[in-house]
Amino acid sequence: MRVLVIEDETKVGCFIKRALEEESYAVDLCEDGAKGFEMALATNYDLLVVDLMLPSMSGMDILRAVRRERIQTPVLILTAQSQIDQRVKGLDAGADDYLTKPFAIDELLARVRALLRRGVTESFGILQVDDLVLNLATREVTRSGQRIDLTLKEYALLEYLMRHTRRVLTRPMISEHVWNQDFDTFTNVIDVYVNYLRNKIDRGRTKKLIHTIRGSGYMLKAD
Amino acid sequence: MPLRVRLTLWYGSALATVLITFSVVLYVITARNLRDDVDESLKETAATAVRSLEERGFLPLLDEEDLLSQFPELARIDKFFQIFSPSGTITIRSPNIKRYEVPLSQKALETAFLGQSLLETTKYPNEPQLRLISAPITYRGNFLYYIVQVGTSMESIEDTLRHFFILLTVAVPIALAVSLAAGWFLAGRALRPVDAITLAAQRIAGGDLSQRLAMQTAPDEIGRLVETFNNMIGRLEASFRQIRQFTSDASHELRTPLTVMKGETELVLRRARPLEDYHTVLESNLEEIDRMARIVDELLFLSRADMGAVKIELLPVSLEALVEDIHRQATVLGQDRTIEVVLGTIVPARVQGDELRLRELLLNLVENAVKYSNPKGKVTINLITEGQQAIISVTDQGIGIAPDNQHKIFNRFFRTVEARTHTKKGTGLGLAICSWIAETHKGCISVQSELGQGSTFTVTLPLAPRPA
Repeated sequence: MRVLVIEDETKVGCFIKRALEEESYAVDLCEDGAKGFEMALATNYDLLVVDLMLPSMSGMDILRAVRRERIQTPVLILTAQSQIDQRVKGLDAGADDYLTKPFAIDELLARVRALLRRGVTESFGILQVDDLVLNLATREVTRSGQRIDLTLKEYALLEYLMRHTRRVLTRPMISEHVWNQDFDTFTNVIDVYVNYLRNKIDRGRTKKLIHTIRGSGYMLKAD
Repeated sequence: MPLRVRLTLWYGSALATVLITFSVVLYVITARNLRDDVDESLKETAATAVRSLEERGFLPLLDEEDLLSQFPELARIDKFFQIFSPSGTITIRSPNIKRYEVPLSQKALETAFLGQSLLETTKYPNEPQLRLISAPITYRGNFLYYIVQVGTSMESIEDTLRHFFILLTVAVPIALAVSLAAGWFLAGRALRPVDAITLAAQRIAGGDLSQRLAMQTAPDEIGRLVETFNNMIGRLEASFRQIRQFTSDASHELRTPLTVMKGETELVLRRARPLEDYHTVLESNLEEIDRMARIVDELLFLSRADMGAVKIELLPVSLEALVEDIHRQATVLGQDRTIEVVLGTIVPARVQGDELRLRELLLNLVENAVKYSNPKGKVTINLITEGQQAIISVTDQGIGIAPDNQHKIFNRFFRTVEARTHTKKGTGLGLAICSWIAETHKGCISVQSELGQGSTFTVTLPLAPRPA
């Protein structure tokens, strides 16, 4: 899951980025409103975290502009103002949730999880393909009841594959959602990580879940 | 008791007092005038009768027919008359009295012997009062022949007075009632704007300071009240807005370091980490603590300044020495960022001031100039005098301030986007403090600037009067 954080306070932006990265999210950080808006247009983010008070373009303006461009990405707004009208205005302008500064890291992560779970609410935050189960809340992965330990990147990759089962996922799609803007497209990092995942999930099992689609990318499916 | 009721009651009682007093006085005067008229008329009649009888050589008469034929004027009078002998027995009496015996009183008889007339009132049961005059008929003024008594009934006067009394007792309460009703109505009308003001005041007290009394502002008492009230609410609203803005700004400025400290600390505590991670977080937190401490100090200073609790000691201060001292400090500050701080024109100038505060003011300006300069920039300090003013200017070649923002930078917490982007340091309170210090020294502070080109801050202070 790839997240764009637009926050002008360098230190605040940095710890948010770090906290999200430690939860396996790919994070881009931007300190300027107008530049952040351009980034939100250019990349298909899974979530935007936007501070309301920003230089050059306010968080509220970014929110309105993003929604005008018919981008439905969930938006979490950060505000230092505890006044209700700011939050109401933000939610009315198309924000999905808000956090008032100062906030607890755990709450930030819980709200981010909740916003990203929106597509899979029917399954109570549990993704399942055959006997492979991924719990979005605890980030626990099991196959046939056996716990599988994954690195952050492996987990992020698996979550992305499991959110889009039975669909061909190209390398650019995977890099866009699992890696941040520092990712170098001309490497075989994706293939390397897919192999790591295969080793942990499919090795020694008769039923393979991760399939290579020649010439285009990968697919996760049960048969 | 509502004002309307009280006004009506006051008005009513005043009116009732006036009406009743007036009625009583009117009644009494009318009654006396009517009685006086009767007495006058009786006296005239008696005098005429006596004169006629004396002049015509009045001798003992047999009966009233003789008398009336001899003295026809007696028959014309609307009164009855009797003629008594000096012994008090009736000799003759007019026919219109026949029904009653009206004897001559002892007092009238005595008075007649003294040659005087006497007016009396007498009353018979179930009859109107009678008014009588008894006059002596004398010969050559000293020999009493007869006593003539003329009387008249007071019936018509009593009737008149009774009617008048009834009229007054009916008319006064009616007039009073009508006046009370009119007073009630008028008081209500006069007080209606007061009610409107009360309602509006209640709404405003409920927290809606944007409310105003919208009323026809005739230049009367109510109009003036409305105007005063609206002005007062306007000032209240402005100062409330200012306080709210200030509180919101202050909380924002304090929340940012809190957010950083809370976030970084929570993050580093989420799992075991290398020692240097904790070190980094603690150092960062220390920075934020310093930033908060500075904001709190400056806020405290400003709020004490607002309350007039900051004492300024006015002593002679040599500005050129102060400027040179500041220049030395600023040179050190500038060295780190390769910014040159130079002195331009410096002339001797003495002002009355608090050296500590003036140093704070100038240091703040020079620090700002260094802070918002680009590397290899130049900051120039000038001190000149002009008339009775000392003028200190600090010029930099830094980021500058857009014209729209130039008047706002002295507001508390205001920082331009350029300033925020340029450096995270700065509380947005320094220039507010500078402005306060300049003003308490009866001076002022101003800025000329061009975005991207640099700024000049100018402080004008009145020179100290020359020692005699």
